[in-house]
Amino acid sequence: MKATREELLDIIYQCLDGLNEQLANGDQIQKSMETPLVGGRGGLDSLGLVNFVALVEEECARKYGIAVSLTDPSPQEDDRFANVGKFVDFLFQRLNNNPL
Amino acid sequence: MPAVASVSSVHGEVFQTLLDEKAPSWSSNPDFVVAWTRPEGVLQAFGDLLSCSRVSDQDLNREVDSYAAALLRASKRTKAMFVPTWVIPPFHQTQGLLDLAASGGAARALMRINVRLLESLAGTPTIYPLWADKWIQLGGPAAFNYRLWYLGKIPFSNEVFKAAARDIKAALRGLNGQAKKIVLLDLDDVLWSGIVGDAGWEGLTLGGHDPAGEALVDFQRELKALTRRGILLAIVSKNEESVAMEAIAKHPEMVLKLDDFAGWRINWRDKAENIHALMNELNLGLDSAVFIDDSAVERARVRETLPGLFVPEWPSDKRLYPQALLSLDCFDRPWITEEDRQRSRMSAVDRERKQSKIDLGNLEEWLATLNTSVRVEELNQANLPRAAQLLNKTNQMNLSTRRMSEAEFQAWLREKTRRAWTFRVSDRFGDSGLTGILTIEIDGLRATIIDFVLSCRVMGRKIEEAMLHVGINWARSAGVQEVYANYHQTGKNKPCYDFFEKSGLACRDGNIFVWDAAQAYPLPPAIHLVHDNGGTFAKKSAEENQSKLLASL
Repeated sequence: MKATREELLDIIYQCLDGLNEQLANGDQIQKSMETPLVGGRGGLDSLGLVNFVALVEEECARKYGIAVSLTDPSPQEDDRFANVGKFVDFLFQRLNNNPL
Repeated sequence: MPAVASVSSVHGEVFQTLLDEKAPSWSSNPDFVVAWTRPEGVLQAFGDLLSCSRVSDQDLNREVDSYAAALLRASKRTKAMFVPTWVIPPFHQTQGLLDLAASGGAARALMRINVRLLESLAGTPTIYPLWADKWIQLGGPAAFNYRLWYLGKIPFSNEVFKAAARDIKAALRGLNGQAKKIVLLDLDDVLWSGIVGDAGWEGLTLGGHDPAGEALVDFQRELKALTRRGILLAIVSKNEESVAMEAIAKHPEMVLKLDDFAGWRINWRDKAENIHALMNELNLGLDSAVFIDDSAVERARVRETLPGLFVPEWPSDKRLYPQALLSLDCFDRPWITEEDRQRSRMSAVDRERKQSKIDLGNLEEWLATLNTSVRVEELNQANLPRAAQLLNKTNQMNLSTRRMSEAEFQAWLREKTRRAWTFRVSDRFGDSGLTGILTIEIDGLRATIIDFVLSCRVMGRKIEEAMLHVGINWARSAGVQEVYANYHQTGKNKPCYDFFEKSGLACRDGNIFVWDAAQAYPLPPAIHLVHDNGGTFAKKSAEENQSKLLASL
């Protein structure tokens, strides 16, 4: 089963919803393609990022039956966590072109 | 809901954080601390045991005791310390018959170290153990999350943390005096199944060999259990009162009897209007109540009209009623006193007393018939738990609305110029228990009443004047010239202002009340004052205070 970008964005937003439940009103992560996941204004702290990655991995395993590790180092420099859009691209590549 | 900002401690530095008061976690003077650890993380011997190494009971006990000592030391730096019980992942409990073996059984050792820790911490008023097993059960099969553990050393799933956060929030509400105090109940299809006005009490489904009937009996049992924790019950129902009363009195499966209810409004008026009147009658704030009704329309009406009241969603399936009640964590309190256990009975007595008030009409005459006795005691170890509880949950007759733990209250009283008394009230109808607190501080020729706290159960029965009599006359005998009472307005303590306004103390600048200590403050004739030493309370206090004052010069 091939994952679409729209499905992956839905998964990411769903996981951000799960995180936002635990954050105070002013600290919640905006759901947009430009939202940074780490660093900059509005990004996740280290524990938040770990939580987010684990939630996305679990949801991908549940939906596509693929055990994927999203923190594995990449052969090239990458900016997978720069923002939501980049993370969708990374996830799309990892699930469809280079499944583990 | 308390607003909480968290400060994290450094991973793996449990003992360093607990023992070092200069550790970064303490720099913000946290109001409360959650000391939640993995047993193998703080007890080397337990880690060895999980690796199937031989471990002596003495070594394990010694490490538990060291950890308990560190917690006790750290607990002095905060108002409340929550200590969840230790849990271990199920993969450590796969030795089958050996899990509970006397020697080397990990599950058995876990139970033992938890009990030893709890016993070591018992009696420390600022430490509150929490039962983490419940959170693990609510977290389901994925409660221990290995992805999170290897990614960020987070041992549990979010579901576990959410369950923990709910319990900690409930505990904070309880500590801050925000726990709910009363459950307002509908009758038809809530306490029994069926419409009593149509079917008569004989036609109701309650108990017997019926799934809904059995569940409703269990629901009533759980409500009865709440009354033993000091939670009041009341009825708000659209029915004919005589018909509903007959059902409560005559149905053989009714667990709840009329005496279990602090009050009721059974008529055909709007429920929101009835709730408002009933809460006024019981001297309780709307935000202290939970309203349970099977009708979504009634729930919505009450929610909209009385926004402070808690109206939980309620299942339509009666078999789920006990579970729905038990899942409400709004009643959690850090302690249960004998007064709590007796509150339901005392409320029934109070209702009888109020009926007598209606019969007699004239307040002064009625008060004289009550034979009210007020027993005054200095604050001591025995009455401290109840006094701290009263201080922290009383809203209406409360001059300053100071909230303090038992330890803080004791610490505040260490100053020689400060005194505190408790007041126990009884009358011909029964004993209302410890219902009043008065604290006074002396500074030179001026005394200031700091806390003036009285339970709403005994308000308006001249106990307020008796408390002023005790406090002011003690201050006079200590040689002060004026006694001050500074009213701090909250959203709920208007009754306190109303009392001081007519108390005889002169009002200055709106919120400051002053008594000229050249005059004695009279004891109301309807009150019989009993001192804890059997009589000469004022004289004894004056002598003690004078010697304290002299010593402090």
